[in-house]
Amino acid sequence: MSAKALRGEDLEVVLAEKRYETIGKIVKASVRKREAKLTFSDMLDKVFLHKYLGIPIFLAIMWAVFQFTFEVSSPFMDMLESGFGLLGKLAGDATTPLASLWADGICAGLGFIMIFIFPIFFLFVALAILELSGYLPRAAFVMDRAMYKIGLPGKAFVPMLMGFGCNLPAIMATRGIEDEKDRLTTILVNPLMSCGARLPVYVVIAGALFPDYAGTVVFSMYILGITLAVLMALLFRKVIPALKGKPGPLILELPPYLTPTPASVGMLTWERGVVFVKKAGTILFAGAVLMWFLTYFPWGVEPGSAESYAGKLGQAVQPIFSPLGFSSALVIALIFGFLAKEIIVETLGILYGAEEEAAIKSAIAANVSPVTGFAFMAFVLTYLPCLATVGIVKAETGSWKWVGFLILYELLLAYAVAAVIVGIGSLL
Amino acid sequence: MAITVALIGNPNVGKTVIFNNLTGGREHVGNWPGVTVEKKVGVCIHKGTVMNIVDLPGVYSLTARSIAERIARNYIVEERPDVVVDIVDASNIERNLYLTLLLLELEANVVVALNMWDVAKAKGYEIDVGMLSRLLGVPVVPTVAPRKEGMEELKDEIVKAAQRKEKRGMFISYGKEIEDLIKKIEGVLSEDAKLSKRYPLRWLAIKVLEGDEEVIKKVRESPQGAKIISEVLPA
Repeated sequence: MSAKALRGEDLEVVLAEKRYETIGKIVKASVRKREAKLTFSDMLDKVFLHKYLGIPIFLAIMWAVFQFTFEVSSPFMDMLESGFGLLGKLAGDATTPLASLWADGICAGLGFIMIFIFPIFFLFVALAILELSGYLPRAAFVMDRAMYKIGLPGKAFVPMLMGFGCNLPAIMATRGIEDEKDRLTTILVNPLMSCGARLPVYVVIAGALFPDYAGTVVFSMYILGITLAVLMALLFRKVIPALKGKPGPLILELPPYLTPTPASVGMLTWERGVVFVKKAGTILFAGAVLMWFLTYFPWGVEPGSAESYAGKLGQAVQPIFSPLGFSSALVIALIFGFLAKEIIVETLGILYGAEEEAAIKSAIAANVSPVTGFAFMAFVLTYLPCLATVGIVKAETGSWKWVGFLILYELLLAYAVAAVIVGIGSLL
Repeated sequence: MAITVALIGNPNVGKTVIFNNLTGGREHVGNWPGVTVEKKVGVCIHKGTVMNIVDLPGVYSLTARSIAERIARNYIVEERPDVVVDIVDASNIERNLYLTLLLLELEANVVVALNMWDVAKAKGYEIDVGMLSRLLGVPVVPTVAPRKEGMEELKDEIVKAAQRKEKRGMFISYGKEIEDLIKKIEGVLSEDAKLSKRYPLRWLAIKVLEGDEEVIKKVRESPQGAKIISEVLPA
């Protein structure tokens, strides 16, 4: 066998396995263990870390997490939504700027995004339970081989998973990765993991344009994000000199399994979820007011029309996106989505003058074609990380160079992906 | 005559306690060249032998990937300490021996301190120290660092090891296919007098096969580099 042929099997792994084989022989000859009882943790590990069952079990658990998140939160979302609807009517007809600010800006815009507090919190509850029970390090162990193939270490797995919640803590969690190149690659592809803030965009658009397959379409966005992350990781490790090389070996301490207490789950969930609550109180509130102002002013014009400030801004930027078929309303939403991705839904709600989910959906169904809608979702998935994430990437990488690279590659990738979708869509 | 002794081990094996036991807590703290990782050096005098004890970072392996591992292995490769004390967690022996094997591959003069001997016993492990020592080909001393058990024996073994002239340590065979490759690379490398004088050739060859970036860089700089790269490494 030539070196090249052997290389295909990855000599580093082969040599490490040989060393462990040798160790196994040494230990067998020199160490005896008095028969100790199999602990409950050992028994669980026999199942969760099983050579073949490990990955299917992991996938089943993840599916259950998302199912739990969406199913449990949907009745709460409906309740809060009707609550905001009633609140909006308190100020009477929106004939004055102040009443309009209350009904069209705050209740329609901010209120609409507030209902997503439920899926976000329930997702964090599920992740907290997995983390506190001790399963997450096992998941990293199970996924290491697959992760290694795509050029990321097993330890990158948990930060990538956390990216589904929010990329900000996820990027902070990459600190556990020892190797600098591994860490940098993980940070750069993490924003492609679709965070909770992007979920409302998919839910609304998929619900409006693909009512019968909404769940599948939303799921396809997550898959698209994962696929892009894998491709980018592979590409970066091949092409960028500062990231070239193979990921380091995984050595993990597996803590014993624990039953998470409600208090500890609550604390961890709150710690992470409070970011969303703070965002709602500050940037999302400000975003709602700003969007309302741009849409309804100069006072008296048709809201969101070409004469409004928002309409003018949209018209100025829209030509860049006309090959993709994005209307000026969608473009405005994208621009303000940089502050926080939730603002995209907020903006659409205000621009279309819709106060509840059903109204936004029918407005979208009337204004956006399914292909454009799908391309738009993919664009939202891929383009620019939000402002807060940009800040944390700067803090964690310590250089504007990587921040600039991240923004540039994501923008180009988003445009390319959306263009491919539009291209394929036009053939169908 | 003073000898240099390096302490190495996985994280959390009680390396710091052993360092303090040996040096009496009198240490000189500096930094490793070029990085902000702490370097601790202390002195131990045992039966007339002065030992300069150098504390290496806690590591699981010796790749070129992390700063800690690079510091540890560069120190052993470049400075060639007289003795390397590998502190092994006896209650986690399987995982800890990986580093031991890597040290033997580096042809370091290893003495194994089988620390946490008490914990291993409590967990139900019975370790045949004599057998382990024979198989590894290096001295093995059971220790319980917090109670200072085994410290005198450890110092004795360090002094003895420092006086020993011939190389010791087991040989890990990687199987015929890989061994053939190692031989081939070793053969080419041996033509470079500078490299073969400074580094264990077998170790260099293994690292080349593993794709170790630092070693490959060194090999590339050798006049034989081009030959090795073209023969062994894919384009």
